[in-house]
Amino acid sequence: MSVAERVPAPGVVLPVSALVVAIAAWWALTVALAIPPFLLPPPAAVAARLAGNPDLYLTNAVTTLRKILLGGAVGIGAGFGIALVVWAVPVLERAVYPYLVAARVLPKIAVAPIFLIYFGVGFETALLFVALIVFFPVVVGTAAGLDRTPESHLDLLRSVDADPVRIFLAVRLPHAIPDVFAGAKQSVTLAVVGAVVAEWILSNDGLGSLILVASENVQVDVMLAALAVLLCMGLLLYGGVTLCYRAVAWQ
Amino acid sequence: MIDVRNLSVTYGDLRALDDVSVDIADGEFITVVGPSGCGKTTLLRTIGGLESPTTGQVRVDGDPPEVAQSDARLGFVFQDHTLLPWKTALENVTFLRRMAGKDPDPGGARDLLATTGLDGFEDARPAELSGGMKQRVAIARAIHLGADVLLMDEPFGELDEITRDEMSVEILRLWRENRKTVVFVTHSVPEAVFLGDRCLVVSGAPAADGPTSPASGTGTPGRIVDEFDIDLPRPRDESVFGSEAFGRAVAEVRGALHDDT
Repeated sequence: MSVAERVPAPGVVLPVSALVVAIAAWWALTVALAIPPFLLPPPAAVAARLAGNPDLYLTNAVTTLRKILLGGAVGIGAGFGIALVVWAVPVLERAVYPYLVAARVLPKIAVAPIFLIYFGVGFETALLFVALIVFFPVVVGTAAGLDRTPESHLDLLRSVDADPVRIFLAVRLPHAIPDVFAGAKQSVTLAVVGAVVAEWILSNDGLGSLILVASENVQVDVMLAALAVLLCMGLLLYGGVTLCYRAVAWQ
Repeated sequence: MIDVRNLSVTYGDLRALDDVSVDIADGEFITVVGPSGCGKTTLLRTIGGLESPTTGQVRVDGDPPEVAQSDARLGFVFQDHTLLPWKTALENVTFLRRMAGKDPDPGGARDLLATTGLDGFEDARPAELSGGMKQRVAIARAIHLGADVLLMDEPFGELDEITRDEMSVEILRLWRENRKTVVFVTHSVPEAVFLGDRCLVVSGAPAADGPTSPASGTGTPGRIVDEFDIDLPRPRDESVFGSEAFGRAVAEVRGALHDDT
């Protein structure tokens, strides 16, 4: 391996440097101002928390991740399916689509207490909540994407009397992929939010619950450790969707 | 081969074409020239079955365009190359045959791409091709379809002038080698004269917006106002552009266009 290959790209060096500087500043702040560790623990204390009880964070992370993945899959699948149906049935599109778009402004988090009454505390309720939060961006993205095929492409296919189902699969759907994934990327970010909120209100497990309990006990170091794990998870998920997109995208 | 009889096409209040009749012989290269919005594209699209006649009729080899469509007898080339961006040049050429329910015949497509000067670009995606190359792929796709009739709607409209001239020479060569009937719509008089056996001059104006426009805002429907036999010798190549006969023919067609407007 040559030297040039071992030098990381500037796209990696700069953000990593910034992270190091930020952590150093955090540490310097706690030392210089003599901040009590229970208010703001130094980075090393947070790292020690993580290292001291990795099982706690891992178990809770897996619990949260299951909600994100299952709820996300249900929500994205349902959003995609409903967008297809609404798009394919013009009457439905005109009747329902405005509300699907409008529902984006509804703070879905406010629905959680209602879910609590209807479905009670539990994993399934949390899943349902994550699915609800994830649902809308995929609907809007898919519906917009399906209209993205240029009219001239459809003319070309009509000129050979191509079968509508084949037109849909071979031309319309691929044209929609960038928009579907733009929606899915938003959804993944929202899925993490949804899972944490669900763990506050609708189930008593996972990283969200851990943060809540730590807050009641004023354990800022535990909260920060849990947040760090959530952050890593969110980034990995976002990266996963981006990789999926690269695998199927044409742009 | 193509028989257009008393064709009128109306969109709502807008009469796009009015009582157009034309006969096109097997293997003939017909050009249709006229200003933007005159109805020439509507004529082409109606021949190709993408628009329906309001009155009158179109027959392709005795059949309605819909029948010709389902037999893959009509090969469209649009101003927009309409290549699928995620497919390679070769896949784009075979794609239309597949959509028409025919054997995709990649071998034939490869040969065709080679004869259109795209040897070595079979696996390139449209984004890696120049505008002229993309139109070459689109033309190859229409020929590969096996259509008897090529319907070309300003296919070189987005190309620069030098590329346009090259493409004109190219399309004549492909026409010679493949013996298709071609209907070629353009707003360029020199292009129409250079390519055509016969040049139809269409006149008409789209509806102007606002209450000041004449004829209560419906515009003037497109009609064939003149027709020229272009008797420049074939095969034609770049040298034709400089010839005196070419200049005369261009002036004549231009005169017909301007007389009417």
